[in-house]
Amino acid sequence: MSDRRDGEGGASGPDATQDGGRNTDQPTDRERTETTERTNGGTDRPNDGRADTIERTGPAERTDGGTAGATTDLPLGIPSWLGALVPLLLLAVVVGGFVLFPPFAGVQSGEPLPDVSVSHVTLPSDERVVLHVTNSGAEPVTVSQVLVDDAYWDFRMTAGGERTRTLTPMQSATITVPYHWTPGWDLDVALVLDSGATVHHAIVAPRPSPGMTPGILGTLAVVGLFVGVVPVALGMLWFPFMRRLSDRWLHAILVFAAGVLAFLAFDAGFEAFEVAAEIPGAFEGPLLVVVGIFGALLLVQSVSAWQSGRADDGAADGEGRSGVSPLGLAYLVALGIGLHNLAEGLAIGSAFALGRVSLGAFLVVGFMVHNVTEGPAVVAPVARGERPSLWHFAGLGLLAGAPIILGGWIGGFAFSPTLGALFLAAGVGAILQVNWEIAGMVRRGGHLASATNLLAFLAGLVVMYATDLLVTL
Amino acid sequence: MTDERSQAADLTASLRDRLVESVADDAAVSRRAVLGGLGLAGAGALGLSGRGRASAGHDDDPDPHGSFGPVDEYAEDAFDPHEFLTTFNTGFDGQDDLDQRVFERDGQRVREFEISATLKPDVEIAPGVTFPAWAYNGQVPGPTLRVTEGDVIRVVFENGQEHPHTIHPHVKNVNPRMDGIPHNGPGVIEQGGRFVYEWKAQPAGCHFYHCHSLPLKEHIHRGLYGAIIVDPDPERVARNPREYVNYQGPMTEEYRETLVEKARLRNREYRADEVNEMVMVMNGFDTNFDGENEVYAVNTQAFCYGVGDTDAHGSWEESENGTIQPITVDRDTPQRVYLINAIEFDPINSFHTHSQFFDYYDHGTTLMPTHKTVDTVMQCQAQRGIVELDYSDHDPGLYMFHAHQSEFAELGWMSFFEVEA
Repeated sequence: MSDRRDGEGGASGPDATQDGGRNTDQPTDRERTETTERTNGGTDRPNDGRADTIERTGPAERTDGGTAGATTDLPLGIPSWLGALVPLLLLAVVVGGFVLFPPFAGVQSGEPLPDVSVSHVTLPSDERVVLHVTNSGAEPVTVSQVLVDDAYWDFRMTAGGERTRTLTPMQSATITVPYHWTPGWDLDVALVLDSGATVHHAIVAPRPSPGMTPGILGTLAVVGLFVGVVPVALGMLWFPFMRRLSDRWLHAILVFAAGVLAFLAFDAGFEAFEVAAEIPGAFEGPLLVVVGIFGALLLVQSVSAWQSGRADDGAADGEGRSGVSPLGLAYLVALGIGLHNLAEGLAIGSAFALGRVSLGAFLVVGFMVHNVTEGPAVVAPVARGERPSLWHFAGLGLLAGAPIILGGWIGGFAFSPTLGALFLAAGVGAILQVNWEIAGMVRRGGHLASATNLLAFLAGLVVMYATDLLVTL
Repeated sequence: MTDERSQAADLTASLRDRLVESVADDAAVSRRAVLGGLGLAGAGALGLSGRGRASAGHDDDPDPHGSFGPVDEYAEDAFDPHEFLTTFNTGFDGQDDLDQRVFERDGQRVREFEISATLKPDVEIAPGVTFPAWAYNGQVPGPTLRVTEGDVIRVVFENGQEHPHTIHPHVKNVNPRMDGIPHNGPGVIEQGGRFVYEWKAQPAGCHFYHCHSLPLKEHIHRGLYGAIIVDPDPERVARNPREYVNYQGPMTEEYRETLVEKARLRNREYRADEVNEMVMVMNGFDTNFDGENEVYAVNTQAFCYGVGDTDAHGSWEESENGTIQPITVDRDTPQRVYLINAIEFDPINSFHTHSQFFDYYDHGTTLMPTHKTVDTVMQCQAQRGIVELDYSDHDPGLYMFHAHQSEFAELGWMSFFEVEA
């Protein structure tokens, strides 16, 4: 984020940087030469056959060693669980030694570049600008001055409730600048660090972000009810119709639901990476999204594997490996959609909090049309067999739709890109797992990749794309 | 803010209010007139008056329009622009940390200065913001050299910095070996190298010296520049008056005497001490290497001649350690500014006085103004001149002066004279 292009501006000056650079370069060059030599030796040898011998004996020895370690006790009667701790203890000793006697003190090559991120800005009134900043670098940074549109302005920086100017690595702070700005007129804010490095942040078309009042909370709840709960509930009313459908058409509807969910997964996935770009560098936003997606996917998968495992134990019949029960799958679909709607709610809430949304009738209608397809997706798995009791339907509907209200509140109160990206990623993971389950369910009852099903999947994608055009926050 | 301070502020406020009440009329106008006012009408409302707070010293009660200006103040042991402002090195006297002397050689007076170039890693250019500068004699701007027309300026230059440097003078130098450029004479002076530059002090005026090593932009903007002031020699003016004025009419005795008198008032060996003389080197610093300046200043420190805090109604306080405070001038003393533009990256700089018009002598090479009665002058890079101001008919108080590129002003080149009776 910093404009700084080289490290010369640091306290060490150009001399230190250049000398340091030379020192660190040397070992690297030497290492590279040695590696090259070794590789050359390797490629020269195959003719004499020795390399083959080594390869053949190598793995055999290793296997022996592994077996021995697993079966025999460790020497001196040390229990084997303690053996697992030995590498950790040794690591602690080595780390301690490094900290106490740093061997690289002489190879210090200047200072790392400062890296400060402005994650977001809140504008409580047109007389205040509040910047939320995080030190993403490896060294403490000091914010000495703040420029607004190329002019020095007073500011107050607080971290954890205390006034400060210096941020330790990973520490976050708010910087309040009393500045009378004009709504709609862009602001360019720059933090000037003690080294003179600057961190610029553009505030495009600023609007006052009034924050949360009970009134706005109520509004968000009503909005969430209409864009989340109502359409899902309406969509679930297709249930009686779905019960009378043939297997072929029911499968088509299930696959249609999978198409709807796949679209949501892409939608939320792109959104997650977009939001992740605003996460301070130290928190590795894109990787957080990856962990969120796989985390949700694997957690839900392991829950469903555990459930079906228990079901198998209980039934103990030949069918086995039958996957999740239809009701269980319906709940998983509702959970996936619920997580997605939570993230949608976050987006609505934060847009509200940042004064960035005009919730016109068109937008609400758009959301409703968009989300109504989520209803049949939730209930399709239970369309065959015994009808679950009504309170299950209520539960499914609330699980799928109500999180949009919760998301709206969270987003309105404490918007943070980290939270937003994490929710979006979790939604993607849950949806991917749900699609896995739906595919399994359809496959068990018939042919998954039939022409009807493929077209139904496509129809799911197209309907969602078309209705998505109606909702642009 | 201490109690004493706020009591003093309260007292000032009550005295002021009484004063304003006693002058009835139009309150808005008389208030400004009585107080000498801020030349900038509505400066308080715009928040442009230094740290313009609604009420001085109440951190929790900020001005609804925000408060403009830098946060905090300069370290006390930093370079002192208030001292630099009026320090002239003549060879006879000047700053203690500069080796300088005067001697006669072949019937000519030689003024000798020993100047080194060094790395100065932490020049404070805005409160808390440091810049790794290259500096003559360890300071930015370099020391102000002041000589009389016809003298020899002898500079013993040593380079203590690993980049090669030179000193290039903006005087009429007739020996190309002494031009201080990489292409002639000794070329650049390497680290540990030494060279003695000698220049004839001519013409009289306000001049400039800087490093001419390449890349030139970097060598200038990193801080290698300073002022050379050549005082006119009244005897020479008497002999060759036409050289000092752009005037084609008959040279009467009266006019000649006028010119000689002006030369005397410009020459430190005559009567220049009757004038309050100041050196202002307009400079800037690109702290993030984007080819634009983040800090603009007169004499290196942004806002150093500003007010620490103000109630926006004419009472102000200097910053706590006094590093930020206006230039105090005596109303009855004529003021003279040797103004030099050392800015890099911007094509021009300017100087504008509030509620005041001045006479401007471009390059200072004439004894009659080249611009008479102006309140704004523009200078390209390396251009310089002499500004002569007269505040004798002004009410005491704060009078702003600044670059009239608003951007430069808001990034540090904004200053005040406090006129005292």
